[in-house]
Amino acid sequence: MADRQELRDEELVSLCQQGERQCFEILVRRYMEKAFHIAFNFTRDAETAKDLSQDAFLRAFANIKQFDGRSTFYTWFYRIVVNLCLDHARRHNRVTWESLDRLSEEPGEQRQLADSTFVPEQEAIAGEAKRKADQTLESMPNKQRTAFLLRNHQGLSIADIAKVMKTTEGTVRVYLHRAVAALRQSLMEFV
Amino acid sequence: MKQRAPLQSACKSFEEDLVLYYYGETDEVEQRRVQQHLSQCVSCQGFLDDLRRWLPQIAKSEPMAPAFWDDYYRETVTKLARQEERKHWWRALLAPRPMWMVPAFGTVGVAILVVGLLFGKGNLSSFIQRPAERIPQEILADENQLQFFESMDLLESLGKLEKQDDPSTDSTSSQSIRVRMQQDIV
Repeated sequence: MADRQELRDEELVSLCQQGERQCFEILVRRYMEKAFHIAFNFTRDAETAKDLSQDAFLRAFANIKQFDGRSTFYTWFYRIVVNLCLDHARRHNRVTWESLDRLSEEPGEQRQLADSTFVPEQEAIAGEAKRKADQTLESMPNKQRTAFLLRNHQGLSIADIAKVMKTTEGTVRVYLHRAVAALRQSLMEFV
Repeated sequence: MKQRAPLQSACKSFEEDLVLYYYGETDEVEQRRVQQHLSQCVSCQGFLDDLRRWLPQIAKSEPMAPAFWDDYYRETVTKLARQEERKHWWRALLAPRPMWMVPAFGTVGVAILVVGLLFGKGNLSSFIQRPAERIPQEILADENQLQFFESMDLLESLGKLEKQDDPSTDSTSSQSIRVRMQQDIV
């Protein structure tokens, strides 16, 4: 099992397709944080993000035999996560503004005490800006928001985002630029 | 409380390139072009600085506790196992059996059929042959009660006789009826 941890995604997927569920569990370990954070960026609710991202793993596993290797596993998997998040957003049409800061209040407080350079005022401004940015993101068209979150929050390349969104790189560039412009506009109002 | 930090505007023709430059999504030619422009344009420098300042802030999230991830992983693995069980329960039923099981199942089936016929038939015949002429105890009890009610009718008749003992009525005729009734009872 230990040497399997070293296997590439595609090798693990191949073993999963032969019925080795344990290999999929390695992929869960590998992608759970990213999956959760994407879902959290979309939903702003930790419980919902957990459910959605776990659901994405279940769907990926159920359809693992349909993965043909034309794209990388993570772009295929990200697409499942994003689709679930967008479906959820469509069904609920509403976002609860719960931040990760509030969920982990205690570690934040400990950090404040330990960090001598911590400036409460700057932190408050940054928090408010983030909140404003989150609201702007929520009101954005889904495609712009998806492109922005995958690039800015998840660090996916434009080429990979294009694969996840099944569109061209040029279109992703336009989405990204529009999203940044909208955010900039909202932050201009804020400062 | 709020700190004024006005965002810079960029040259319109460079805005999109600056966003892509910030994300490292420009090729070498575009990169050189943007860098050259930046060296001459203060507004675009300010715009890029704003992106560098704000975009990482927006993406920032506090790390979750390790216990959260342990629970997350355990839950997901459990859900995966359950999903797999649900998916395969019917396959177990339809799975091909070893050849030796065919005559074994056949023998067991015939044995069940024979035992069923033997015992089932015995029960059926005993049910059919139940004597219809045998009178149940309940009906016999009802018959005794009928005799009881007949004697009750006689007592009722005696009550009527007592009413007739009234002085206003004819004493001789009533006396003769009473004698007749007492004879009936006897």
